[in-house]
Amino acid sequence: MKTITFIFAVLFSTSSFATDNKYIEQMGKHIQAVYAAQSPEQYQEAVNAFDRIAAAEKKKWEPFYYSAYGSLMIANREPDAAKKDAYLDKALASIESGKVINPNESELVALEGFVHMIRVTVDPASRGQQYSGMAFQTYSKALGMNPENPRALGFLAQMQMGLAKFMGSPTTDACNTGKKALEKFTTYKSDNLLAPQWGKGMTESLLQGCK
Amino acid sequence: MKTVFTFFTLWLAISSFAQTKVVGLVKDANGEAVAGANVLVKDSYDGTSTEADGKFSFVTTEQGQKFLVATFVGYKSFERSIELTGKEIVIEIVLREEENVLDGVTISAGAFTAGEEKRRTILKPLDIATTAGATADIAGALNTLPGTTKVGESGRLFVRGGDGNETRTFVDGMVVLDAYGAAAPNTPSRGRFLPFMFKGTSFSTGGYSAEYGQALSSALVLNSRDKADINQTDIGILSVGADVGHTQVWKRSSAAGKIQYTDLRPYMGLINQRIDWVTAPTSAEGSAAFRQQMGKDGLLKFFGNFNRSNLSLFNHDIVDASIKQKFELTNNYHYGNASYQQSLNKTWSARGGLSYTFNQNAIELDGVPVGETEKGIHAKTVFEHSLSDQLELRMGAEYYDRRYEAQRINASNQSEKISFNESLIASFVEAELLSSKHFVVKAGVRAEQNNLINQLSVDPRFSMAYKPGKKGQFAFAYGLFRQTAKNQYVRINQNLDPEKAEHFILNYQIITDRRTFRLETYYKKYFSLVKYMNLDATQLNNAGSGYAKGVELFWRDAQTIKNVDYWVSYSYLDTERDYLNFPTSAVPSFASTHNFSFVYKHFISKLKTQAGFTYSYTSGRPYYNPNNEKFNADRTSSYQDLSLNLAYLPKPNLILYFSCTNLLGHDNIFGYQYATSPDASGVYASRAVRQPADRFVFVGVFITISKNKNIGQLPNL
Repeated sequence: MKTITFIFAVLFSTSSFATDNKYIEQMGKHIQAVYAAQSPEQYQEAVNAFDRIAAAEKKKWEPFYYSAYGSLMIANREPDAAKKDAYLDKALASIESGKVINPNESELVALEGFVHMIRVTVDPASRGQQYSGMAFQTYSKALGMNPENPRALGFLAQMQMGLAKFMGSPTTDACNTGKKALEKFTTYKSDNLLAPQWGKGMTESLLQGCK
Repeated sequence: MKTVFTFFTLWLAISSFAQTKVVGLVKDANGEAVAGANVLVKDSYDGTSTEADGKFSFVTTEQGQKFLVATFVGYKSFERSIELTGKEIVIEIVLREEENVLDGVTISAGAFTAGEEKRRTILKPLDIATTAGATADIAGALNTLPGTTKVGESGRLFVRGGDGNETRTFVDGMVVLDAYGAAAPNTPSRGRFLPFMFKGTSFSTGGYSAEYGQALSSALVLNSRDKADINQTDIGILSVGADVGHTQVWKRSSAAGKIQYTDLRPYMGLINQRIDWVTAPTSAEGSAAFRQQMGKDGLLKFFGNFNRSNLSLFNHDIVDASIKQKFELTNNYHYGNASYQQSLNKTWSARGGLSYTFNQNAIELDGVPVGETEKGIHAKTVFEHSLSDQLELRMGAEYYDRRYEAQRINASNQSEKISFNESLIASFVEAELLSSKHFVVKAGVRAEQNNLINQLSVDPRFSMAYKPGKKGQFAFAYGLFRQTAKNQYVRINQNLDPEKAEHFILNYQIITDRRTFRLETYYKKYFSLVKYMNLDATQLNNAGSGYAKGVELFWRDAQTIKNVDYWVSYSYLDTERDYLNFPTSAVPSFASTHNFSFVYKHFISKLKTQAGFTYSYTSGRPYYNPNNEKFNADRTSSYQDLSLNLAYLPKPNLILYFSCTNLLGHDNIFGYQYATSPDASGVYASRAVRQPADRFVFVGVFITISKNKNIGQLPNL
């Protein structure tokens, strides 16, 4: 709803250009599509749309972010390890392009950590140590840029939970981070209308394992 | 306000008049539809994704000369100029697959690669560290692969009927002289490099690229890690010493250093040894690595290490054990390696480096010095050029300079120095043609000018692979290889030709994500081997020759049983050679017909423990028995070893490590030594060469200190 209000605001403001209207409108549409996507095909379609916008705009980090998000979701559903890595590579490439435009965007860095985290799941025994270390480090970098970022906290909680389960150690740390993340999901508001909104459900289901 | 409205009306007007419909089909090179491909007009929002049948259709408001682009994961992007006039455009697009995709054909004959974790490789870098019985020694882990022969009293890599000296080690492309640490006679030596320093290992048992020279049987190519990402301090407290390391990371660079002190004296004092030590081995070792990123993708690497070790023992006479000789060894070793790589433009890239080795064995026999010193430098530059997507060209030039000096006691019982200086200029050219995802050919030549013997040589190398379907592939490799004879022979006769070998290898392998099957057969012909004239060790020529042939099997499976990863390797070796003091063609004492290894790794989540064991079997090796008229006709009993290791991780940054070799206490005999003259009844007395102790037990505690307490040393172990 907010997005739509904003679109109208932009549409009728004299200080904007038609291209920006188009950007916000198109992004809004495809962000809804990527959040609603269920199948790899739907994600791919959204990823393609974001790639087109990213290529045309050149100065916006958001399409790179959502393209990476879509690729990650495909990777998550892909059973073949090699293909999974190919999608993760693509996600990482999009994030890198986004970071060139906005190097201090906490959301991009948090998503980068998420890529490392998914890498672990491909082969935990041989990748666990390397990529979980990288994931932890990247999450703390993202939180350094924005301590309020609920996704960075939510991912960190996931990682802590995974490690605790793998090691058979207590899940206290994971649950505490998860609770903090859930709190930020309700309180944190970005002033960017295209900012990511997802991840709350993931954290809620993580916390279900905490009681 | 008004302007905007005008603008909008205008914009709408144009777009409604000048829409162009673009329809078509996206296929791959095999004619199969590509679903989900992104088709777009460059620099615009306009475009769409292809349907399941590869078809697409969209409308664009763009006008004039534009580019139509199609992309999909795993494929190269397609781009073509189109003219948007409002008239419908129908286009058929063929996307070409990227060559480096995982299903693609690769050069595989002779090669075992432990590479980047994202690729499908036979080994992962971590495997080297976690193989039981290897005690984190690179050669120890590779000795569980087919093509190797376990030579327990040496610890080196003996490949396909070749001697340990025929395997050459390279770090970041640069040669390493004396790659193994000093050890007492008949005790195994360890590699000088720790496995954790490397992100990739390529172990070739034959038929390797023209880039690698001066290796007769095998090339062990180690690629060091790139810039580190995490600041950390590692501390290890071991039953045989201690180590401490630190890694510091900056934005574009990183530095790491490690010092290690090993003292086997307390251990040897505790566990009864078959060696009469005066002083058990002690060593101090340090290594440093520095990485600097340069420009867009350049990387400068520097690596250096030093090692100083001491040991002394008594050798006892075979007949009368009360007659003994004191053997003292001090080894001083320095190695430095600087390498640089950078792409020059889209199709050219360059890499190069410089390495320096200094190795000094100061030996005293009953106080009389008989040491040796070797110094060497190696400089190399390589250019790589992509002529097209299918054709890669690689060319390079190298310079080696080696100085060797030894001290010995001559016939008149005086100490004298003998030395030689060998320099080599080499160059190589190699082309790799990837004609499709199914077929790859690599052909090259290597030219070497040896200034010691003033000889120019040219060696061809060739390999190819064919992958008919999605999984299995066939490969073939051929090459001619040469290597200067061992220092101990060249110092006697500086006109000796290099020893030569010709390899023919056939390979079949299937690699899936978590399973590997590999079958390989080879024929290797040796010639120009060093030979004693009239059995006189001071009269050497190149009349020696030999052959090796065999079949090897490898099976690895990390899929069938959850949390379990195991591999099995078997090598059959048939080899004979007529060289050195051999009166006839015979099986050399380091060769055994059957070699079998079973490596098992299991992560037990509940116990927070990684457990592993390795079982190795090597059939009896020949030895020379002067009481037997037939040369090298006797065989030792088989070698058997069951080793175990356990890594317990109570916290991610704390590891308790335990390992033990030869759990079953099998009495492994590597050969027999004989008295130089027969006793009164005409029989030569003998003594078995055994392991210094039945078992080697190792306990260690490893602690990692970093900002993040979840980072541990497991990858380093």
